[in-house]
Amino acid sequence: MLILGAGAVGGYWGARLTRAGVDVAFLLREKRAAQVKADGLVVKSPKGDFTVSPKVVTEGGVGGPYDVVVLACKGYDLESAIEAVAPAVGPDSTIVPMLNGHGHFAVLDERFGAARVAGGLARISGMLGPDGEILHSGASGVSFGERDGKAPRQALVELDAACKQAGIDGGLHPDINQDLWDKWVMLGAIASMCAAMRGTVGDIVATDDGAALMRETLEECRAVAAHAGHAPSDKVLAGIQAGLTQPGSKAVASILGDMEKGGAVEARHIVGDMLARARAAGLAAPNLRFAYAHLQAYEARRARGALK
Amino acid sequence: MKILILGAGAIGGYVGGRLQQSGADVTFLVRPARQQALQRDGLVIKSKKGDAVLKVKSALGGNEGGPYDIVLLTCKAYDLDSALDAIAPAVGAGTTVVPLLNGMNHIDRLVARFGADKVVGGLARVGVALSPDGAVLHTSPFAAISFGERDGSAPRPALVALDAAVKKAGLDGGLHGNIVQDLWDKWIMLCTLAATCCLMRGTSGDILEADEGQAIVLEAVDECRKVAAAAGCDPGEKGMANVRSYLTQKGSRFAASMLHDLEKGGMVEADHVVGDMIARAKKAGVATPTLRIAYAHLQVYLARRARGGIGKPAM
Repeated sequence: MLILGAGAVGGYWGARLTRAGVDVAFLLREKRAAQVKADGLVVKSPKGDFTVSPKVVTEGGVGGPYDVVVLACKGYDLESAIEAVAPAVGPDSTIVPMLNGHGHFAVLDERFGAARVAGGLARISGMLGPDGEILHSGASGVSFGERDGKAPRQALVELDAACKQAGIDGGLHPDINQDLWDKWVMLGAIASMCAAMRGTVGDIVATDDGAALMRETLEECRAVAAHAGHAPSDKVLAGIQAGLTQPGSKAVASILGDMEKGGAVEARHIVGDMLARARAAGLAAPNLRFAYAHLQAYEARRARGALK
Repeated sequence: MKILILGAGAIGGYVGGRLQQSGADVTFLVRPARQQALQRDGLVIKSKKGDAVLKVKSALGGNEGGPYDIVLLTCKAYDLDSALDAIAPAVGAGTTVVPLLNGMNHIDRLVARFGADKVVGGLARVGVALSPDGAVLHTSPFAAISFGERDGSAPRPALVALDAAVKKAGLDGGLHGNIVQDLWDKWIMLCTLAATCCLMRGTSGDILEADEGQAIVLEAVDECRKVAAAAGCDPGEKGMANVRSYLTQKGSRFAASMLHDLEKGGMVEADHVVGDMIARAKKAGVATPTLRIAYAHLQVYLARRARGGIGKPAM
């Protein structure tokens, strides 16, 4: 098994798998590879701190082919990630992308063939600390499965067993497409609003129209999912809405943390693509439109080096 | 003619400084810290129209002097309550109060406090800021104040005299035949710029880089225009064309001063410039979706400012 990336998602998941004895290699950039080789993968988590010394490979020496190749990169790094993992993908490899949104599937299918590409997503809360340590802060679930809903291939069954062995929540999902949409609907709403408002859920719902704006944005995302035939169930939707309108909530989309550090953002992947799908379906999505304009203005300002 | 200026900040300092330079009798009503700085350093103006260091008359609350013919109010809207208390002793039977604030909401409060006959309309169009050491930095090619009777009638002698002093001081503008329309024209521009620059956290040029940035800006102008029209003050096609072309210049590095204030972590005139426009829209039955989300953004900013930051990303 090869994991591209050792950030909050790939790093946390892979470290737990490594500690459980699973044969995991990390494909990393030179700088991150040197750091992990020197310090190990340092995990700080409410579930217990630990450090592991995993196998690390770099571009040009990836080895393989691997049974499972996990992509745990950001959407804006997809192209370089594809080039990096390509030598590790053999005829029997399964690629499990853990990216947000849906737009990466078309790119991966085109490059590797749809048969090799499973669906996957992470619900892992965390970020990297200043010394490359993984600061895990809450949920630690992953979800993956066949995109056509068929019985899972052997590689996914084994990945599921490895996750259970490592105490990771989730695992094989019988309807991964729905799970991807459920996550995107939630993420599209919270990322749009936290970015455009520059505040936490609690800050937003404390304003005159904040809770209404949250509900409207969630509805815009739900309608896009419904048009794709993947409306979240009432129960899932009620759970998302309760989370997004909870007074005093300190929840915040990680995209806002990225913006406040002046970093790159998955604007197109999380918000822009949702808006484009709304447009293609003839759906009004006024709040997604405001949010995407906010993110594009941020990117323009970042590009000219004028962030405050 | 005796003029009292409340505040020696950016606008009050520049306008008052130029008036005094040309011989007008100007007194600045200031707080003790500002008075000490003025006595120590003088009123320092840095401007393409000429730098100046002026010895000025200043007064503290409780010792205002007067009565004055003109009281120029140049505070921010969120300081209006304390400003009203500060100037009250200086407002006599023959005094005219000329507020140079943004928006319109302050006029009702001034009228309630001092009576309609004492309060005229006024506004400033000056690109100025106060430097950390208290110097007035004038950056725009123009420096105008505009004022007039709110009912459009012939100006009282005090305003005619102020107009003469303004022209003598080399300031632009002066008496305006329809000051209420001018107030709306400025508010439409300002509200649109403040709402969109803050909502997008960028300059005009940054906003226009977004796919729908220009469309959003133009929608915001239209929202403001409809509110003005409902108040009987539609700026007309020509006025709107000017505003639109000003707000849609590709590559513009121009941003609302509210964005600068916000990025310094300062107080912002959110309620006065954007919130009050929305309140008037609601009364008139005008939909303002762009102003609404911009105001929510500003309210989030004020809430974060009040609690001093944001929690660590939690997901």
